[in-house]
Amino acid sequence: MDILHQYIETLSENFFDPKKRVFLGYLLSAFVISFLWLTIVKKEKIKQTINKIFDKKVFMSKSSQADYILFLLNIIILMFLSPLLISQLAIAHIVFEYLHSQTILMPLNIETNNLWIIPTFFTLSYFILDDFTKYITHALMHKVPVLWEIHKTHHSARTLTPLTIFRTHPIEGVIFVIRSAFTQGIVISTFYYVYGGNITFVTILGANLFSFWFHLFGSNLRHSHIKLNYWNWLEKILISPAQHQIHHSIKKEHHNKNFGVALALWDTLFGSLHLSKSNEYIEFGISNKKHKYENNIIYLYISPFIGIYKIFLNYVSPHNINGKKQNLKFNKQTRY
Amino acid sequence: MNNTKFKGTTLAKLSFVGAVTFSFMCSSITSVNAGHHGNVYGPYPITEKSYKGTKKNSVSYGGQMARQLLHNSLKKLASKGNPKDPTLAPEKKMLAYLNTKDKSKSLPIMDPKSSSKFPVKQKMIGELSGGANLSGKADKRIQTSWPGNMSGVDVIKFMIKKAGKTKGGVDTRNGMNYPQLISKYTMGAVLYHQACDNYLDEKMTPSSKPNNKPYKKGAHYTGKEHSWDEAFGYWGAAAHTMKLSAVQSYDVAKKKDLKAADYNKDGVVDLQTEMTYAHAYYASSYDKKGKTNYLKNVTSAFIDGRKLITAADGNKLSKTELDKIQGYVQIICSNWEDVIAESVFKYAGSVYKDLGKIEKAFDSGTGMDKAMSAYLKHWGELKGFAMALQAGPDNKSDTFNRMNRMMGFGPLMPNLSQVIGIDSSGDYIKDQGSSIGYYKLHMLKIQKLMASKYALKAKVNDATGGMAALLEEVGSKKSAEND
Repeated sequence: MDILHQYIETLSENFFDPKKRVFLGYLLSAFVISFLWLTIVKKEKIKQTINKIFDKKVFMSKSSQADYILFLLNIIILMFLSPLLISQLAIAHIVFEYLHSQTILMPLNIETNNLWIIPTFFTLSYFILDDFTKYITHALMHKVPVLWEIHKTHHSARTLTPLTIFRTHPIEGVIFVIRSAFTQGIVISTFYYVYGGNITFVTILGANLFSFWFHLFGSNLRHSHIKLNYWNWLEKILISPAQHQIHHSIKKEHHNKNFGVALALWDTLFGSLHLSKSNEYIEFGISNKKHKYENNIIYLYISPFIGIYKIFLNYVSPHNINGKKQNLKFNKQTRY
Repeated sequence: MNNTKFKGTTLAKLSFVGAVTFSFMCSSITSVNAGHHGNVYGPYPITEKSYKGTKKNSVSYGGQMARQLLHNSLKKLASKGNPKDPTLAPEKKMLAYLNTKDKSKSLPIMDPKSSSKFPVKQKMIGELSGGANLSGKADKRIQTSWPGNMSGVDVIKFMIKKAGKTKGGVDTRNGMNYPQLISKYTMGAVLYHQACDNYLDEKMTPSSKPNNKPYKKGAHYTGKEHSWDEAFGYWGAAAHTMKLSAVQSYDVAKKKDLKAADYNKDGVVDLQTEMTYAHAYYASSYDKKGKTNYLKNVTSAFIDGRKLITAADGNKLSKTELDKIQGYVQIICSNWEDVIAESVFKYAGSVYKDLGKIEKAFDSGTGMDKAMSAYLKHWGELKGFAMALQAGPDNKSDTFNRMNRMMGFGPLMPNLSQVIGIDSSGDYIKDQGSSIGYYKLHMLKIQKLMASKYALKAKVNDATGGMAALLEEVGSKKSAEND
């Protein structure tokens, strides 16, 4: 009963906790934004707009159905895996203790209570650094062959809905949990050390101020068929929903582009930026060639292992031992 | 006729006297029983079969209350040190409160002193007991937590000697705050040690102080009854503690709540039964924050245990009864130990904060005196409680060694010097210590050690508590989701 209770709690937390991407309030704001975008900017009619936003072909597609099932199953898997992983508190303690034994970074010993600027700086810094580690992790998921095999599960989606974020292999979930733990542990313990025990986050409804705005202004449209794009200058700073949809595109020129989550700055800095174009048709997935089992749940769980096994075979094959690598190319995005 | 009349009158008179006597006897018995409210410690009836006297209440812990007051008084006197007094009067006075049994009722109670807001019944230590001192009951084991390989009582004497020669009892050169060190260590070396390492330990074994014999020849209480009462006295809770909230008990100790203290409504606070002392006070200080229930856990176990012993009616305790007693002992001593560990945790956190203030004072060039004063006070409390923890029955030598090593024999001073020992003249030997950063790290590790080895819940002044709260606020990612 405890497990069932925990499961229901975790499941509902996704929709009722403002710290979560698919919090009902953010889904509602995504609807409002897409409605305004389509009716005002794209001059579409209201009925047509509603039909487009709630397109059955998208929400009831086999791809989306697989997303929903993975969402429900992964909660159970992560419930058992999470307690085995290193916690952000353990990392924070290690870093915090280490900071006492070095002399480069010292506590500032200033009162933080009456200074709004320090909590704001802390909140913004955390948001930026968290976003940066997400960029790095995401880029590695694409560029390291073994990691790409795992990340393929997410990119195999043919239709995008807000719940496509849960179309994620559990191993990738574990990687993200570890990334999150390290980021939180390191950033928070460092600020806590430098600014002392009074430091606080600036929050709205319990969520980080900047994360709140990011989600409120349509983060859920990243995984959707609503191609909302920004001005080019803005797309160099913030990732627009259309830019992330480009990231999911099967077109070769779109591969390994737009790894950013909230900020496009990282893509701009590291040369992976791709600006969106109005009315550009984007087909989602890994390849235009459909795989027989691409939405089969069992296949979605085991395919990364098959892919990794093939990589392993390639490295230990006799050809490789003799110095002649098999002709299994690990190009930037190996396809089905 | 006359004879008959006489007989009738005599019978009537005898009947009357008999009825009055019977009523008086009944009322006496009833008064003992009525006096024994379920959740008040005592009075309890006499069960010792060999006792032929007139006493009705078998509860007796006057000696322990006298020691509580000797401890309170010693703490007060420790702050009266005077290096310019050639007669060594401050030291002599403190030694009197350490060693003297106040048979002649000549030792005034220094704390609490009667006031209009908080009038107390007794004025002299001897009014509670003329046969109790502190030195005779101090831990006799060698104390590795203090330099010089001294026994418990020798450590207290050493501290007293130093305190007497130090202005206000605070040695700012070596960092020793003697009022705090003496007080907290005495709480452990005498009060906690006697209760948990003697009365509730050896004296609760079947052969020691059996319940079918008086505690000592002619006593009106049995061996087990009195052993139990003595331990309760060392705990320092008012007899009616279970009728008070933690805040009330705390305020009683602080002499702020006469109404809560004066249980028998006679207008004065009886220091024997109505006052909160030392360990019970610290328990109440944690409990009033709402996360713990140390005071009532311990006090109710004492009451339940005493009821069980009383119910044996002066007979030897059976194995089942002794097992139950051991259950109560376990509750009492584990909670008591946790209260002391909570204090070590709390003051390690205080010292950590104080070191930050000292760093700040260094940077700003102001506020050093204030920061140092708080630092030395808190370090004295930390060290005293850490030493007190080691006076219990459970020798967690690995934990104690780590704790002692991390806090050292003295606080790290702003010039980074630290006491590392005592020479043959009794003077402190100092050496260069670690950096302030490292010493702060040691405080963190002491908190971590306490939290891992004891069932702490209050965790006052948790140096990393804010960090944990921030991490909690951010929330851990438990779901598999892409961005």
